[in-house]
Amino acid sequence: MRMKLDRRTFLAGSSALAILPYVSFARAADRTNPIIALDADIGNLDPGNRVGTTEGNIIRSVCQTLVRFEPGKTTWTNDAAKEIKQISDTEFVFELNPGQMFTGGFGEMTADDVKYSFDRYINGDKNGKKLAYADDLKALKSVEVTGKYTGKLILKHPSAALWLIGICDASGAILSKKAIEQLGDKIATTLIGSGPMTLKEWRPKEQFVLAANPDYKGPYKAHFEAITGKIIPERKTSFLSYQAKELDFTAFDADQLDTAKGLPDTRVIDIPGIDYTWIGINVQRGDLADLKVRQAIRWAIDVDAIIQGAYSGASSRAKTLLAPGLLGNWADAPLYTRDLAKAKALLVETGKTGLTFTFTCLNDATSLAVAQIAQANLAEVGIMLTINAMDSGAYWALGADDAGKDLELTLIAYTSKFDPSFQTQWFLASQIGLWNWQRWNNPEFDKLHQEGLETLDKAKREEIYIKMQKLLDESASCIWVTHGRHFFVDAAWLKPMFLPNGKDWQFEFFDKA
Amino acid sequence: MNRSQRTAAFIASRLASVALTIVGATLLLFLMVRLVPGDFTSVMLGPRATPELRAQITHDMGLDRNMIEQLWLFASRAATGNFGEDVVSRRPILDIVLDVIPNTLALAFSALALALIVGIPIGVIAALKPGSWLDSGLALLSISFITTPTLVVSVILFLIFAIGLHWLPVAGAGEPGDIADRLRHLILPSVALALGWVGYISRLVRAALLDTLAELHVRTMRAYGVSEYRIVGLYALKLALVPVVSILGIGLGDLIGSSVVVEIIFARSGIGSLIFNSIAQRNYPVVQACVVFIVAFYIVANLVVDMINALLDPRISGARR
Repeated sequence: MRMKLDRRTFLAGSSALAILPYVSFARAADRTNPIIALDADIGNLDPGNRVGTTEGNIIRSVCQTLVRFEPGKTTWTNDAAKEIKQISDTEFVFELNPGQMFTGGFGEMTADDVKYSFDRYINGDKNGKKLAYADDLKALKSVEVTGKYTGKLILKHPSAALWLIGICDASGAILSKKAIEQLGDKIATTLIGSGPMTLKEWRPKEQFVLAANPDYKGPYKAHFEAITGKIIPERKTSFLSYQAKELDFTAFDADQLDTAKGLPDTRVIDIPGIDYTWIGINVQRGDLADLKVRQAIRWAIDVDAIIQGAYSGASSRAKTLLAPGLLGNWADAPLYTRDLAKAKALLVETGKTGLTFTFTCLNDATSLAVAQIAQANLAEVGIMLTINAMDSGAYWALGADDAGKDLELTLIAYTSKFDPSFQTQWFLASQIGLWNWQRWNNPEFDKLHQEGLETLDKAKREEIYIKMQKLLDESASCIWVTHGRHFFVDAAWLKPMFLPNGKDWQFEFFDKA
Repeated sequence: MNRSQRTAAFIASRLASVALTIVGATLLLFLMVRLVPGDFTSVMLGPRATPELRAQITHDMGLDRNMIEQLWLFASRAATGNFGEDVVSRRPILDIVLDVIPNTLALAFSALALALIVGIPIGVIAALKPGSWLDSGLALLSISFITTPTLVVSVILFLIFAIGLHWLPVAGAGEPGDIADRLRHLILPSVALALGWVGYISRLVRAALLDTLAELHVRTMRAYGVSEYRIVGLYALKLALVPVVSILGIGLGDLIGSSVVVEIIFARSGIGSLIFNSIAQRNYPVVQACVVFIVAFYIVANLVVDMINALLDPRISGARR
């Protein structure tokens, strides 16, 4: 067939092309269910082998946990459980609500499903392989089934962290034993739950759709029929898409704050983070083994300038490991405001001159800005820094085994959980050669960490974690930079919901404003 | 040897060299990706990557075997179209790659088509008025297109057409099955990707057409009173397009390479962004599978171009005599 392009065809085609944009525009204005942006795709939907926050957020909305975080809080109330009773420091009995049905025809949730789900963290998957998130339920010794809906959780030792880090979170998702056995490896891409939402669609690298689960029997019904999550890895692109009205909610970078504040029909959400970024100093490496050299570096680096220069002044400065709001936050931690005289005096005391170190960081713009400010700061006290910036693949393998011995100063950013023990664990002696890149070894710190894990009294725990941060401070092995900050824009008609870290989103509680 | 035998011999020799090139390039890239320092488990799991998990995942990816074994395993599987299973999602790697390839091909071909549709007329107009203000203006325009980075073009385009005018979407590839939506999502990325090639093609067409128009047979046609439209449209342009066809193979390869930037900026899934992310994560099996597809595509595109050239100009296949 031959196609003829005459005047009439040309005009018809042009008219169709001209109308095309308006078709989409009308669609954007008529939305009743939100479209939101996420910067990472789903990797693995098996709660124990998830790889990012995207899966964690989806799992929490699709699956039930014994107890669920309340909207926007770290306190929890019963979800799958009708009742949970503590009968000793290490034993809890639970009773499930009857009639809680798994999607996909996998039947009713029973205590067997709870045992099966938690046993995977204790014993590994069907091939005995350890789950990536096994440590979230590390304190759990076993689960006993005592009836169709009843069972007992037995702990190795008293643990406050187990609930906050494990059972309430995605790791505590109750899966269908029948579904897991039937699906095999497909559990990485198929999520069977009994929670407020279902994973209706997932187009890898493009989008997923969460739909309200009509069969959900718990107390937290989803407010929207559907939430569409678009995978947009670049924040700048998602922010522009929001401005183009393709999205109703997205995170954005601090440097766009002024633009965001000027957008019509938009709410700007600003949540202080609980993560921690710091400059780690390898205490076993050459001249850095000298405490006074480390102290001099701490006095010489201008963290306030880093906050202004590298974080656009939008993040607040960190003084210690645990962020404000977390149990164990050391509110009176000393603030090291740059003091060149003190730094120079300390270096004179050491008698060392011509010091040169390597500053290792990721090769993103923020990390490079931090490195350059530190380089300029230290040059003023006679310490020369060479910047070694690398991509994430090479960077995150740096601390492993003997390679970590060569690190000197390193800019490190770790994510946090709501229990302080999650943060303190990376500074233990057992983490040297793994994730303790400072290679700092303090037996008292290690002892306190264990005590903190096993103590239930809140005030005592607070005391323990403050003491641990004081030890870290005395070592001068960490120069705390920031706990981060999260910025979001959302259409005025939408009310998103997050846990207080700003990273764990609660899709089931997203609502109309 | 008659002409058809010579053409068949030419095609056979090109096919053999294609097979060798695919094998050689794939092996080279297989070795190169292993020289990149880094560890997949640490990137994916961060501090959760315990030594036990590292060993487990390294084993699952087959990276604990020696290089020869890895190579043999990869080559023998790849030959049957089996690239193994992604260690994160447990999905067959072939499915992961096949999911994104249509998006990249749609982007590359639409950009190439756009470059030809716009670039050829610009080149022809410039060649018809050599040395004029119009020629100088079009030269300036073409050089501007060539020298403006795709990144900058992309940002300008979506600031104007998506944010300012709200005419076209910014992110994604559109709804599957909704052709109008797919097309709307294709317009800005294609234009961003095509613009540089509009410049290249227009300059190439101008130069080739000027050469052709200066040849004796064109002068003869003019002397016989053949109209300038017929000379350019029916005879000279056909000859001037031979070098354009020659660079199409390279052009397609370049467009697929440049699509990395465009796919990332416009948040389109595609093979470019898949490779980029997989390299960043050190997910070698996925990188290798993508590389095999790109190498094969690039070489097949060049083969097709060679064939077209051989058909257009029999001297190309006959030169082997």
